[in-house]
Amino acid sequence: MSSEPDLTAEPEEHQHADDGGPQPEKHCGHGRGGMGEEVTRKEDKRFITGRGNYVDDIKKPGMLHCEIVRSPHAHARIEDIDGSRAMALDGVVAVLTADDLLEHDLATMPTLMDDTQDVLVNDKVKFQSQEVAAVIAEDRYTAKDAAEKVEVEYDVLEPVVDAEEALEDDAPLIRDELDDQEDNHIFDWETGDKEATQEVFDEAAVTVEEQMEYQRLHPAPIETCGAVADWDPGKDKMTVHMTSQAPHAHRTLFSQVSGIPEHKVRIVSPDVGGGFGNKVPIYPGYVVAAAASYVLEQPVKWIEERSENIQTTGFARDYDMTGEIAATEDGVIQGVKVDVLANHGAYNAAAQPSKFPAGFFNIFTGSYDVDAAYGSLTGAFTNTAPGGVAYRCSFRVTEAVYLIERMVKVLADELDVDPAEIRRRNFIPSDAFPYESATGWNYDSGDYEKALDKALEMADYEHYREEQQRRIAEDADKLIGIGISSFTEVVGAGPGKQCDIAGIEMFDSADLRVNPTGNAVLRIGVQTQGQGHETTFAQIVAEELGMDVDDITVEHGDTDTEPYGLGTYGSRSTPVAGAAAAVAARKVRDKAKSIAANELEAAEEDIEWDRESGEFHVAGAPDRSITITEIAAGAYMNSPGNEEPGLEAVNYYDPPEMTYPFGSYIVVVEVDRETGEVDFEKFVAVDDCGNRINPMIIEGQIHGGLAQGIGTAMLEHVTYDDNGNVTGGDFMNYLLPTANEIPNFETGHTVTPSPHHPIGAKGVGESPTVGSPPAIVNAVVDAMSHAGTSHVEMPMTPDTVWEELDEVGLSISPSENVSFEFDDGASEEPADD
Amino acid sequence: MKAAAFEHHEPTTVDKAVSLLESLDSPTILAGGQSLVPMLRFRLARPDTVVDINGIDSLDYLHEEDGYLKLGALARHADVEDSDLIDEKYGSFADTAPLVADPQIRNRGTIVGSIAQADPKGDWGSVLLAHDGEVVAQGPDGERVIPADELFLLPYDTSLGENELVTEARVPVPEAGEGSAYHKLKRKTGDYAMAGVAARLVLDDDGRITDAGIGMTAVDITNARAREAEAHLEGERPSADLFEAAGELAAEESNPESDEHGDASYKERMIDVLTQRALGDAAERAGVVKRRVTP
Repeated sequence: MSSEPDLTAEPEEHQHADDGGPQPEKHCGHGRGGMGEEVTRKEDKRFITGRGNYVDDIKKPGMLHCEIVRSPHAHARIEDIDGSRAMALDGVVAVLTADDLLEHDLATMPTLMDDTQDVLVNDKVKFQSQEVAAVIAEDRYTAKDAAEKVEVEYDVLEPVVDAEEALEDDAPLIRDELDDQEDNHIFDWETGDKEATQEVFDEAAVTVEEQMEYQRLHPAPIETCGAVADWDPGKDKMTVHMTSQAPHAHRTLFSQVSGIPEHKVRIVSPDVGGGFGNKVPIYPGYVVAAAASYVLEQPVKWIEERSENIQTTGFARDYDMTGEIAATEDGVIQGVKVDVLANHGAYNAAAQPSKFPAGFFNIFTGSYDVDAAYGSLTGAFTNTAPGGVAYRCSFRVTEAVYLIERMVKVLADELDVDPAEIRRRNFIPSDAFPYESATGWNYDSGDYEKALDKALEMADYEHYREEQQRRIAEDADKLIGIGISSFTEVVGAGPGKQCDIAGIEMFDSADLRVNPTGNAVLRIGVQTQGQGHETTFAQIVAEELGMDVDDITVEHGDTDTEPYGLGTYGSRSTPVAGAAAAVAARKVRDKAKSIAANELEAAEEDIEWDRESGEFHVAGAPDRSITITEIAAGAYMNSPGNEEPGLEAVNYYDPPEMTYPFGSYIVVVEVDRETGEVDFEKFVAVDDCGNRINPMIIEGQIHGGLAQGIGTAMLEHVTYDDNGNVTGGDFMNYLLPTANEIPNFETGHTVTPSPHHPIGAKGVGESPTVGSPPAIVNAVVDAMSHAGTSHVEMPMTPDTVWEELDEVGLSISPSENVSFEFDDGASEEPADD
Repeated sequence: MKAAAFEHHEPTTVDKAVSLLESLDSPTILAGGQSLVPMLRFRLARPDTVVDINGIDSLDYLHEEDGYLKLGALARHADVEDSDLIDEKYGSFADTAPLVADPQIRNRGTIVGSIAQADPKGDWGSVLLAHDGEVVAQGPDGERVIPADELFLLPYDTSLGENELVTEARVPVPEAGEGSAYHKLKRKTGDYAMAGVAARLVLDDDGRITDAGIGMTAVDITNARAREAEAHLEGERPSADLFEAAGELAAEESNPESDEHGDASYKERMIDVLTQRALGDAAERAGVVKRRVTP
């Protein structure tokens, strides 16, 4: 593909530290597969040889299959459900309705934002395809046949799918089962200093404003959601294999919902085929499968179909935003204001820390040093699927980054200042970190200008600016646009006192056990869905203990064996569980030191750890050394009297702060003035995620996230018609990009370690999804801004772009620049117009 | 896929297939399955019986014979994409094949199946119309040849009889001075057309257009011809003005609806653009003119 990561730049950019404490350290790679080495992914052998083990691969003796009956209406009262025709089919075991679940107190379940959602509709359907009944049968075909035969009588009500319309006085009331709910308003939220911000705006030389919609998206993991629930009446134990990004949190919730004591609940998240935030919430299908297994005392499998996944499980975004910037005549930003209308669907089921109703949206001042900022947001219920999950995103930071990066482009155009230059004038300076933003975030480290400069150089920025002007001057049929996004992310939730999921503080954990023969098992509280944890977490331990990466197995996803953790989403695995792994390894190393002293017959204070060789040795006598393998043997077979036998450690890590990865992306597009089609000419992504564990895996993460960013900007949209029908609810209509839509990516990096993270690392998985949409939109806008374009809504399909071209007078007919020449030398000139 | 249950028949001869179609209760024909299988998966199609013709080897051909390019009912989009004959002589076919859906679909889906499906957003119907093509159908009463102009009635509805099996689609072998092209606008690989135009021109030695065919995709209830645009071209020499006028006429003749593939006004405008582009390619491929694009 594109350029190789610049590994040679890495060592000199690393910070050095000597004490081995929670500081960034030097990681150059020692050939054992430690930090900074491009270790081949350990998990890939099983995936590429067809030995992955996903939920739908799990088969148990006597296993039954669940199919859910869904409402064709978006808003309707259920008058009657008759399952008798379904029950009459051979092989049908049960038809479950809300009444059956009520008997077991399982008719409702809490959402992650403390709302209450029907597992099966008790009274009123609130969105299309909502779960109305469930059929349990001996095979999945019979279950599907029977589901069609469940007869449901609906009293169809008027739906409302648009958030603005939902808040109008005469809108139908969606949540009439709630005592105090008289309209579709959920909450108002404010951030920043309203008065100070208003003052700045009142006195500013320049203000700009733009309204923009971040359309409803779906994470659309290739593996849909599913579960195999298995109630064991002999052990009184419920085991649920399920597509979960947060197995422990789900265990606690399962226990709370079902009343089964938590030590009798086991959640296993086996191989997971992509999560992207979609597999953070609990869905009715999981609960139904568990309830059915409990009642029938047989294993029950529920596997979602593609359209069920898109139409009913956690969507993302759906923010209608208005941004404003106040600035000096020179383009120095003084204030930022933003107002948002958020469509939350039929239940408030956003997946984000409970004290953050708008997630981390208030990081909307981005990479810029802003004096005053104020944001307001209103959440609304609509007759659409519930959600607001963090799709490859740290809780609404994607919306925030889109807003500020778009607004900076709007300001640049207003003042006719180059978009790169205006960013330079406003960046938080590299010597200002740690930096507290106007809305209260504590940025750990950053060097934004360095990343931008690198991206500009890689993108050949000046060349494309000249080419852009040439095309405009020649009235060419294809215009060039150059878009920049210099984003800052906030990832790695906790700290636990600020961030919790359903009350559980957002720490994470690692349990490291070194075996007598010198290899080790690391169990972690986070759960991989493609991120490569089995490799990168092993690398962290390899680095800290001088072991070979192949001697470390990483286990995750089984609540019976793994330490409690909050799961993988919001790029939190490396910032939180990665820190826990490093600290656990250092605890092991501390203990190993005393065993080394015993083995080497030296005083413990004379034992030194040598990161380069991965060995302990006696101070001043490097040849008197011992490896962790030899120490492990000693720990079990020759333990010193002053230590417990064994060589293990556990760490529960509560991060002191979040980490703030950043980057600069530059996108060059060519816009066809005849059709509105957009082609990518160049796509440069420079990322800074602090110290890098595995550059190859980072590269893969960046590529995947950029592809999703392109899907966001160009194609994807969950749409509804006025009757509440999902019109973008399958892959014919919810357009995922294919390899054909993805250009070559040129990736680069800078390294600015996190000062508070034990290995100086920050999260990276979602940076490209967060950072790229505004770069792409800015590029398309940039192609037309000379004619007055200030914004184009996503997804920028050809018709959307052409409408804007036409609006600003740039659309043309092919006849305007075509001529034909005949063999006889005659020629027909272009048409006059 | 959890389709409703159906009976699956696999005849190995056309005669057997035709007699199955006659004897079975409301049978559905399965060729490439690229439209039928998704419909089965959504249970939008619930046939009692499926006659799978993939075992009829005699229908697997793509060749010139008796003055026609003939495509058997099992010729796949990928066969057209990979054919040297197509590359050399049939510009519109060579343009169309790689624009159909995605490579996986092209490996299985058939040209004849796509035509018989009669989806107005399908590409091949427009190509067949522009070339004055035909389909050959076998039924209980023997063989019948149906001109493309008489084939398409409504979305997913053709003049084929219930018990008829389309065995072949064919177009006349190009004469001297003939060129053709297909232009399609789509949102992504695998998506149906927002709009598409197939154009065929025959030019005499003097560079005058003696015959023109224009077929349009996704802008009417069926694939549709732009007859006024065709008539406007005949007797004229290619020029930007001429093609612009033809583009405008074709746009006027189209009847698109606003949907997820764009507003009607946009599609009309794109018919204009795509018609001009396809005519330009066709004229150039006819070998009489050179096209210059400026700047």
